[in-house]
Amino acid sequence: MPKKKKEKEEFLKNELIEKSLSPHPLSFMKLQSLCLFLIIWGVIIGWLVNFSEYKTLFIGNEWFILLAWGLVLLLVGVITSLILIRWTIFFLYLAVFVGAIALMLWQNWLNKDAAPVFIPFFSVAVSIIGFLIIEVYRRSHQYIITNLRIILLSGFITKTELSIRYDKITVFGKQSVLGQIFNFGTIIPITPSGLGLGSDQTLAAGGLMLGGKRAKLLGLAGGGKEVQTPRSRSSFELHGVHPYREIKNLIEKLVQESVPTAYHQEQVAFQKQQVDLQKQMRDLLKVQTKETGKKPISNAVSSDELDEDEEPEEVIEPEENDVQKQMKELLKKQSELRETEKIKEEFEEEDVKEKS
Amino acid sequence: MVDYSIDIVIFAPLAPILGVLLFWFIQLLFIQSEKYLLEKIRPKHEPLCRFTNFLGILFQTICHALGYTITKSGISDFFISVDYGRVSPKKERTGIFQWIANAFLFIGPFFIPAFLLLISLIFLKVEGFELLIPSHIIGSEYSFGGQITIFGTSLYNFSEKFFGFLSNIDLLHPGHFGFLLLLIFLGMGIRPSYIGEKKHEKIDMLYDLKNIWLLISFKPLYIIILFIMAYLFFHLTILINQFWYVELFSIFGWLSIISITAIIIADILIILIKTTDEIPGKSRFLPYITVPSSYIIMRIFFFYFPSDFTNIASLLIMILSTIIVTFLLLKYKTKKFNTKTDMKPLRGKDAKEKKGKRRISKKRTY
Repeated sequence: MPKKKKEKEEFLKNELIEKSLSPHPLSFMKLQSLCLFLIIWGVIIGWLVNFSEYKTLFIGNEWFILLAWGLVLLLVGVITSLILIRWTIFFLYLAVFVGAIALMLWQNWLNKDAAPVFIPFFSVAVSIIGFLIIEVYRRSHQYIITNLRIILLSGFITKTELSIRYDKITVFGKQSVLGQIFNFGTIIPITPSGLGLGSDQTLAAGGLMLGGKRAKLLGLAGGGKEVQTPRSRSSFELHGVHPYREIKNLIEKLVQESVPTAYHQEQVAFQKQQVDLQKQMRDLLKVQTKETGKKPISNAVSSDELDEDEEPEEVIEPEENDVQKQMKELLKKQSELRETEKIKEEFEEEDVKEKS
Repeated sequence: MVDYSIDIVIFAPLAPILGVLLFWFIQLLFIQSEKYLLEKIRPKHEPLCRFTNFLGILFQTICHALGYTITKSGISDFFISVDYGRVSPKKERTGIFQWIANAFLFIGPFFIPAFLLLISLIFLKVEGFELLIPSHIIGSEYSFGGQITIFGTSLYNFSEKFFGFLSNIDLLHPGHFGFLLLLIFLGMGIRPSYIGEKKHEKIDMLYDLKNIWLLISFKPLYIIILFIMAYLFFHLTILINQFWYVELFSIFGWLSIISITAIIIADILIILIKTTDEIPGKSRFLPYITVPSSYIIMRIFFFYFPSDFTNIASLLIMILSTIIVTFLLLKYKTKKFNTKTDMKPLRGKDAKEKKGKRRISKKRTY
C-alpha cells in the first residue's frame, strides 16, 4: 500500500477511497532496460580488455578502449531512438559518454592506464544511479481511485495533480508481455477534451532538382498523416497498476455507475412525472382549502414525533390533516365530472345519429 | 563398391530414424517431468509459470509461422500472448502444404529452441560436430549396424564435448554466462504446449503424442512418401560414398541431447525453487545468495592460487555449498528431517504427577 500523500481535507464530501495504487516495480522496464544495457556492456568491455583473448589489442590504447565503449553506446542509442522515436535515449547515452571522457581527462586517468578498470566501474555506477532515479520517479506516482473520481498524483520536484470524473471518460487498457507475466498493466482514462490521446505522425517528402550546372530549380512535395492513439505520460494514466484486471474492472464498474443508462433515464423521467402529479395535487388542495376557508396543511406531524418539551403550536384534527382523503375526494369529484361529461357527449352523439 | 544386401536396402535407412525416435521419446519424458514440477510450484510462482508458458507458446507460434512461410501460405495474422498464440495463413492451402505446416507446429517446438542453442555452441567454438567413423565398422558402414554405430558415435562424440564444455563453463565469461541463461530459459520453453490453469485443460505428453499420431494418420500417404524420399536419399549417399544421411539424423540427435540437458538444468532450478519454498522467512533466499557468492569466492581464491581445474572446481563447490546450505536450512528451519517425535511433551502433566508413585518404562510411555 503506497504512502498516502493526499490529505483527508482534500477529498470531497462523501468521497470514499476504493484503491490507492502506485506503478509496479517492473512497469518502467523501458527505462530500466537502458540501465541494464549499460551494465551488460560495461561488464563485457571490462572482460574484453582485461580477461579475454583479445586483451592484447587494447594494451597501451587507452583512447581506443574509451572510444570503442562510447561508440557502441552511441550506436545503440541511435538505433533505440529511431525505433522508439525518442531522441532523449541517444542524448542520455551521449551524456554518459561525455561524462566519462570529462572525468578521465580531469583526473588524468588516460595517462595512468586506468581505462580498463574505470570504464566498467563507471558503467555500473551510472547504471545504479539510473536505477535509483527510476525508482524514485516510480515512487513519486500515486493513483487514488475513489467512488467519485480518479486522482493522479506525480512528481518528486514539481508536483502534478489530476482529477478525472467517471462520467467523462472512456477507459483504455494495455498490457505488455512483462505485464501479462507479472499481472500489471496500464489504464488510460481518455476524456472528451483529448486527455489520454497521443498522435502518430507520418510524413513523406520528395525533392526534385531541375536544370544543369547553371540553372538549379528545386521542387519539393510533401504530405503528412496523423492518427490519434491512446497514449499518455505516466502522470496522466494509471501506469503499470497491479493487479490489472481487478483495477480495470473496478474502474469500468465505477464508470458504469456514473453514466446514466437507458434504464436510469427512464427512472428519472418517471420520477419527474411523479413530482408533477404531486405538484398538481398540491395546487388542487390549495384551491379546495381556499373554497372551504381553511389553511392548507403542508406538514402533517403526528404527536408521537414531537418532543415532550415542545408543545404543538396548533392542534389539528386528524380528519382535517388527512391529505390523502382530501385528494381522494378531489379525484372522485374529478372522475364524477368526467363521467357526467362523457354521458352528455354520448347523449349528444345519439341525438346526432337519430337526426341523421 | 558396396555389396547390396537386404540389410542395406531395407533396414539400414531405418537405423538413424529409430535412434532419433528413441532420443525424442526420452525428451518427451523429461518435458513431462518439467510440466509436473511447474504445476507443483504454480500456486506460489504464478509469474514464473506464466513466463515459461509464454516461452513455450512463443516457440510454438514461431514454428507454426515458419511452417506457413515454408509452404508459401503467407501469414495474415500473428498474435501471441502469455497463454495463447495464433497464426493465420494468407491463403488456405490443403494437401501436402497443410500437412507440412501442421508438422512444423507439432514437431518444431521440440527442436527449434535446441537449434538456437546449437548455433550458440558453434559461436562459442564448442567442438564435437564432426562425424567419426569407427575403424571396426569399415566395410559394413552402410549396414543397419554400421549406421546405428556411426549415429551412436556421433552422438557420443558430441555429448563428450558438450558436457565437457558445460562442466568447464566459465561463469565470469559473458558468452558462457549468456549461454547458461539461454539454456535455462529455453529449457523452460521446450514444450509444445502450456500448463493449463484448470486440471481438465491439462495438456500432457499423451496429448502431444495424440496430435502427432493424428497428423500421421490423417494422410498416411505422406508418411510413405517421406520414407521413400529418405530411402532414396540414403541410397544416393551410398552411390557417392558419403555419410550425409546419418549426418542429418545426427543433428536431430544432438538437438535432442541439448533439449534433454536444458530441461534437466531447468528441472534442477525448479526443484531448488520448490525446496526453498518450504523454508520459512527470509532465510529462503540464502541458497540463491550462496550460488553466486560461493562461485565468486572460489574464483577469487583460484585467481591467487591458480589451478588447472579452476572452472570445474568452482562449479562443484558452488553446487555443493548450495546443496549444503539448503539442507541445513531445511533441517533447522523446518521439520522436514524430523524422523522421531519428542515424547516428553506428549506425557503431559498426568505423567509427571504419577512419576513418583509408579515406575514408567523409558521405552514405553503408554
